[in-house]
Amino acid sequence: MDVFAALGGGFGVALQPGNLLLAFIGCILGTAIGVLPGIGPLNAIALLLPFCLALRLPPESALILLAAVYYGSGYGGRITAILLNMPGEPSAVLTTLDGHPLAKQGRGSAALAISGIGSFVGATLSVIAMTFLSVPLAKLAVAFSPADYVALIAFALSLLGAVSDGPAVKAWAAGCLGLLLAMVGVDSGTGVERFTLGSLELLGGIDFTVLAIGLFAIGEILLLIETRLRSEAAKLGGGKKLSLREVIFCTPAMLRATGIGFVIGVLPGAGASVASALSYTAEKRLNGAQGKFGQGDLRGVAAPETADNAAQIGNLVPMLSLGIPGSGTTAVLLGALLMYNITPGPLLFEQRPDVAWGLIASMYIGNAMLLLLNLPLVGVFARLLTVPAWVLYPGVLALSFAGVYAASNSAFDLLLAIGFGVMGWLFRKMAIPLVPIVLGFVLGRMLEDNLRRAMSLSDGDAWALLGSPICLILWAMTAAALLWPLLRPRRV
Amino acid sequence: MIAADRILGAALIALGAVSAYAAMQLEVPFAADPLGPSPFPTAIAMLLALCGLGMLLRPTDGFSPPERRIAPPLLVLAMLGYALLMLPLGFMLATALMATTVALLFGARPPAALLVGITTAITLWLLFDKLLDLPLPKGILPL
Repeated sequence: MDVFAALGGGFGVALQPGNLLLAFIGCILGTAIGVLPGIGPLNAIALLLPFCLALRLPPESALILLAAVYYGSGYGGRITAILLNMPGEPSAVLTTLDGHPLAKQGRGSAALAISGIGSFVGATLSVIAMTFLSVPLAKLAVAFSPADYVALIAFALSLLGAVSDGPAVKAWAAGCLGLLLAMVGVDSGTGVERFTLGSLELLGGIDFTVLAIGLFAIGEILLLIETRLRSEAAKLGGGKKLSLREVIFCTPAMLRATGIGFVIGVLPGAGASVASALSYTAEKRLNGAQGKFGQGDLRGVAAPETADNAAQIGNLVPMLSLGIPGSGTTAVLLGALLMYNITPGPLLFEQRPDVAWGLIASMYIGNAMLLLLNLPLVGVFARLLTVPAWVLYPGVLALSFAGVYAASNSAFDLLLAIGFGVMGWLFRKMAIPLVPIVLGFVLGRMLEDNLRRAMSLSDGDAWALLGSPICLILWAMTAAALLWPLLRPRRV
Repeated sequence: MIAADRILGAALIALGAVSAYAAMQLEVPFAADPLGPSPFPTAIAMLLALCGLGMLLRPTDGFSPPERRIAPPLLVLAMLGYALLMLPLGFMLATALMATTVALLFGARPPAALLVGITTAITLWLLFDKLLDLPLPKGILPL
């Protein structure tokens, strides 16, 4: 079989001692940043990127490390959610609903164990699905014309409004803002300066790291500093251990959550938060009568955590096969690959099988490592929560600034990052989602380039944008995604 | 507070309008492709203004006021000071100063905050400048 030979080659890359070590470091770092509120995978990866370049890691090694941080973070968020009743990651919000009551009832260790198992099941099954799905999807996309890409990117962007928690218009506004930010700088086609306000520093465009660190690291710390931390950690030890019967009891929920999570993850634009919310609601609706959801049902912990990790892996599929990131963090991963002059997309699996398959193979290994790290050693990660904020966040902030400065050597970028930080903070307080800004930023250039290429190919005939069946289907789906928020019942 | 949505909506309309105007004013020296650099940003800027209009006309849940009113602006000031002092003072001193201030804002006692500030500065200097060979500004310290 073709797939198995390719995967075998991938294991050859992933099992090299250096890459194994990087995956291990990434798993530890990922879990740790997942535990800590205020540091997410997005800004952690943006911060690690300069390190990878400075250490001259080859692209496959860098990707193995960065991806391990990414999917490792899905294991960490639950620890904070269960013990502190606050999510360590945005997608762990649903885990608090049943996780914290369980911890209060003295079953914190059982809740942590089942959610760890769920994370592993969701992630590993999704990696298997990814193994078999990536190449067919990539083959489908090889034939995509620029016009098809325009439709595909438009569809990815249109989903942002349909899946956002808040009003769709806010997600759309954020997406447009991201698209406009991507236009800043010299236009590559004609050399014309756009939106540079006459500033020399903006000629080269806005650096992705500056935007990501500003919006997510600095903005998050501004949000943290304005609230008084008051939650007290629930005790970890004691209580009845998780029994095999309970694991079996939760298995159907975990399998359903894997399905929901992976499908949501593959859809561009929809992320792990949506997946975990959907799977929790699904379980509650299915078993609500006999369950005690909200008061400490193990399935209420297993389902969202499984879906969360499944969606994270699912998000990687369109990023690798189509070159279209489905979430903020995969957008940063895409940015990382672009810095290595590697363009993810249909040709990646043929041109750089070491990168594509090395990554996939390393995810099998990484998830096994994470299961081992997170079952016996969960107490070590939980202890991170006792580090006081005044030790942690000055360091995180200084690291963010050092990362921004080291990448560009300009104090202007520091000011720009602060500006984005304030923007991210205010937007967050006004329920304006930030992920569309990042996605719009990454997809903006891609969308415009493909649009202009399509128009060149057709000599300016706009009808060419509707010229193929794939286009028509994608545009119809785009229209549906745009209309959906306007038609769905208004929530009060 | 619904006013916050209205204000932001108005601001987005203004931003969209200015951007659309700026994009339409672009002078293209030669036509490289039929579309050129102007129409796409113009369209996006108009969409942005449209979204702003939507927020202005139909504001939803607005701004949640901070629990600690003074801390966020102080943090912004500390960061701005840091960005401006980085080159004249050097990375080490500026970082120590900023990290100490941030630790204080997060509720540390002054001696502990100073310790955090100095440790952070030295650790990051060693990490970036010595280990990773990414040069940071030295400033007035003889390093």
